[in-house]
Amino acid sequence: MSFNIPLIFDKENENIQQNFVPKMDIDITELNEILPENLLRKELPIPNIPEIEIIRHFIKLSNRTYGVDTGIYPLGSCTMKYNPKVNETIVKLPGFAHIHPLQEENQGCLELIYHISKLLGEITGMDGFTLQPAAGAHGELAGLLIIKKFFESKGIKKQKIIVPDSAHGTNPASAKMAGFSIIELISNEFGEVPLDELEFVMQEGDVAGIMLTNPNTLGVFDKQIKEITRIVHENEGLCYYDGANLNPMLGICRPRDMGFDIVHLNLHKTFSTPHGGGGPGSGPIGVVNELIPFLPKPCLISTKKGIICKNNDDKSIGRIKAFWGNFGVIIRAYAYILALGAEGLKKVGQIAVLNANYLRILLQQNYFLPYNRICQHEFVLSDQGLPNDVSTEDIAKRILDYGIYAPTIYFPLIVPGALMIEPTETEPKSSLDYFVEVMNKIFEEAKKNPELLKNAPHKTPVKRLDAVLAARKPILHD
Amino acid sequence: MDYKFLDGLKYTSTHEWIRIENSIATVGITDYAQHQLGDIVFVELPEVGMVFEKGSNAAEIESVKAVGDLIMPLSGEIIRVNQKLADNPEFVNSSPFAEGWMIKIEYSDVNEIDELLSVDKYKQIIQNEEN
Amino acid sequence: MDFIPHDNKTVSEMLDVIGVKSLQELFQDIPNDLRLDKLNLPSGLSEPDLVQQIEKISQKNKIYSSSFLGAGCYYHYIPSLVDSITSRSEFYTSYTPYQAEASQGYLQAIYEYQTIISRLTQMDVANASMYDGSTALAEAAIMSTIITGKKTVILLKGIHPEYEDVVRTYCWGRNVCVETASEEILKEKLNSDVAAILFQSPNFFGDIEDSLKIVKNLREKNSNCMIIQVMTDPTCLGILNPPGSTDIDIFVAEGQSFGLNPSFGGPGLGIFTAKQKYLRKIPGRLIGKTKEINGDQYGFILTLQAREQHIRREKASSNICTNQALCSLAALIYLLSLGRTGLKEIASQNVQKAHYLKMRLSKIPGYEIINKKPTYNEFLVKCPNIDALCNLCKQRDLQPPLKISSYFPEMKNIALVCVTEMNSKDSINSFIEAATLALNNEAEEI
Repeated sequence: MSFNIPLIFDKENENIQQNFVPKMDIDITELNEILPENLLRKELPIPNIPEIEIIRHFIKLSNRTYGVDTGIYPLGSCTMKYNPKVNETIVKLPGFAHIHPLQEENQGCLELIYHISKLLGEITGMDGFTLQPAAGAHGELAGLLIIKKFFESKGIKKQKIIVPDSAHGTNPASAKMAGFSIIELISNEFGEVPLDELEFVMQEGDVAGIMLTNPNTLGVFDKQIKEITRIVHENEGLCYYDGANLNPMLGICRPRDMGFDIVHLNLHKTFSTPHGGGGPGSGPIGVVNELIPFLPKPCLISTKKGIICKNNDDKSIGRIKAFWGNFGVIIRAYAYILALGAEGLKKVGQIAVLNANYLRILLQQNYFLPYNRICQHEFVLSDQGLPNDVSTEDIAKRILDYGIYAPTIYFPLIVPGALMIEPTETEPKSSLDYFVEVMNKIFEEAKKNPELLKNAPHKTPVKRLDAVLAARKPILHD
Repeated sequence: MDYKFLDGLKYTSTHEWIRIENSIATVGITDYAQHQLGDIVFVELPEVGMVFEKGSNAAEIESVKAVGDLIMPLSGEIIRVNQKLADNPEFVNSSPFAEGWMIKIEYSDVNEIDELLSVDKYKQIIQNEEN
Repeated sequence: MDFIPHDNKTVSEMLDVIGVKSLQELFQDIPNDLRLDKLNLPSGLSEPDLVQQIEKISQKNKIYSSSFLGAGCYYHYIPSLVDSITSRSEFYTSYTPYQAEASQGYLQAIYEYQTIISRLTQMDVANASMYDGSTALAEAAIMSTIITGKKTVILLKGIHPEYEDVVRTYCWGRNVCVETASEEILKEKLNSDVAAILFQSPNFFGDIEDSLKIVKNLREKNSNCMIIQVMTDPTCLGILNPPGSTDIDIFVAEGQSFGLNPSFGGPGLGIFTAKQKYLRKIPGRLIGKTKEINGDQYGFILTLQAREQHIRREKASSNICTNQALCSLAALIYLLSLGRTGLKEIASQNVQKAHYLKMRLSKIPGYEIINKKPTYNEFLVKCPNIDALCNLCKQRDLQPPLKISSYFPEMKNIALVCVTEMNSKDSINSFIEAATLALNNEAEEI
């Protein structure tokens, strides 16, 4: 018996209900009197499907999809926190949803963008922001282009960017898109940046800057951060902060104070906007005063007449996206910051770290933690020492059988068989306890019945899928 | 872990093997390398006629979870590539030293052959990496 | 508002388990001189207070009863099913489906999106989305330089000026040269160092280009360079020839017209399609169909991930990670809701209503339609007094068309007028009245 849900295209029929087309109220001129025949298509292979079939199909698909609203989603570095429902209401206000990006009467939107820049400035310590980037990686690209333009404007050529081996893959990829090559720094045994190597590399010259996240992907706060940024600055480099791990720092510590010149934020991580199954996100960047002229255009300034648009054409890196940014996402983040306020934001950091350490202490009883120390928002387990050659993938697949989602696997690369866990601050204790219970049960299974793990998952709509076949013989559409 | 090694071949520290016959070098990746990469899904081979320096990337080998480069062990011109890998990338896993061969080079500098490793030296490198 | 689910007792219990005395201790790694006292932000708000405050802000934007403004963002009817389904929190609170077996629902939806886009465009492969049309075009340009090894791209006149800006920024990042050309002088510029020609159709000024002819001419002159088309309102594909029938290498589009509110320009949807032979060089996520390892069922999975940044890192052709998944779901629902009959009808109404307005405007002395080629739902019109026209529109609660001089200062008194199925006959006639009155300069300053 198949558990597959047939593709929606199977529901096609010739029913031509036209529920969504307005009645034509002008005299019709035939298309072929307006447009030449050779421009018109002969066939349109899109199915006609009755409305109830569409609804039922997608309700069924939603039942096979797992979100934060379903249960714990401990994906490390993703910050899968609760998405406030009030934000969904606000976004649908006609005064936002119906506004055209090029219309003149847009003070509400401009004010919101301007005001969130100020709020994010207070949270991060940065002087100027752009809300244009559509995602974290997009923000990284913008930030690196700013670094490139900065040195170009001084007539200095710098070709390299330093990235630690614990960095997220977007860091080196973004650097390459901005025309830089990478120097990878190997972390020391505490997961920190080795200062002497940093000195050495910086003194070689040709280094435009460093990209770091702090806490890093091991969940470790690098105590030497001010030393790191000092060394880079002394050698005339710039410091870029990857804000993917900002959650535990809210209200506790600021990237500007750590010495960073450019910061990107992930609104869909730290600021509760929904992940959407893979977007839309938003990746605003903040910069220190000296770099404000390089921000992508358009920039907003406050005047007596209200918020207006200023094009800093001469030094700006240019435009990185049409219009203003993912405004629908920005509204949600704005509402979140206003809703939480100063005290609420600080609690986010505190409880995120509480929840992570709680899990860390309980899980270390059975699992190996290569960096077993007080962590910030996340920590990393390894599959080293697991009985019967059970791998991280086996563990992850077996977790799915217990009705919850697995943590991030095989990242960061510096931990063999990494299992990266970030519970976030909105996870109740009962849910954390259940996660520990599941992990301990799986550990017992690994000892007594490893085949159960190696062939997992068993209870999901499909069993373990053949990723190799999918890559060798890709079928990307029907 | 028991990896396969073939005598009569030369090796590089970047896990290529080389068979030299009649001034032509046949090159592929070793059993150790294919183990590291996992199931190979695609091999992007160079075009016949292309010329590469020793040390440059001649081909890309993709698995589900990783990408590896085939690094030219010798400078020279590509005179043949293994077309069968287009439909059967799995040959690199099942038969890395035979059916999984990747390129044939007409090498331009015979002295470069001395810089290649013997099977014993290569085994040593693998032992070190495993520890 | 507070979304922390623990009470104080729970927090104490957890601190005990961890073995620390206070929350403060958990931050012991942070040097004292880096610790904040408190953020200088106002206190939080409850939900009703929050809604009230933000609603006030939204009321500072103007909503018109009818709009004649397009230029890259369009007012089309959004079927109720779109919101109904994208509001399912299983979809919108999930993340990238790395654990395929537990994410079959969303993976199948994106696979269906890839399928419907392929069918609509007749291109071989569609990815799971890029950020928007402008960045999709920029990434296509970069992709062409990586595939061909050439370092120049040429933009044919008529691309949305903001899109052109974005392409230039991305190309500058990768040291790729950008040139522009009109169709006439294109052949002079087409040398062997060109990676791709980029053109928009229907273009920014409304012209529907003869893509078949453009492609044929280009291939005759330089068979190695790639051809990339961009489109800002793909509802036209309800009636126009699909790009796949014209041998284009890459086709990208802004998918906002497929079920997304204008929302001040974002989020949008970057539709990205290409020929089969470029499959392993396409940026972005791809969902593939495969089978169980030990079974007969088929399932859906993220595939060809070795292209992407999390594996290829600095060797990746793109850094894209989070894309616009929920927007592609919206687009899928939009297209399914309309079906081929609905999409054809919508596209026809766009053409017919724009044509209706175009004909009547051209009969008003002083107004001149500038387009020489056929148009879809936008066209350029020279006006005797564009400021007067815009003010009169506003008085009638009509959102005025774009003053082209905002992008091209030398093109004064030229409007880019957009008419969609959402413009009723009354609103179109009202616009015509405004245009007539503008002749007499009967405009009141607003």
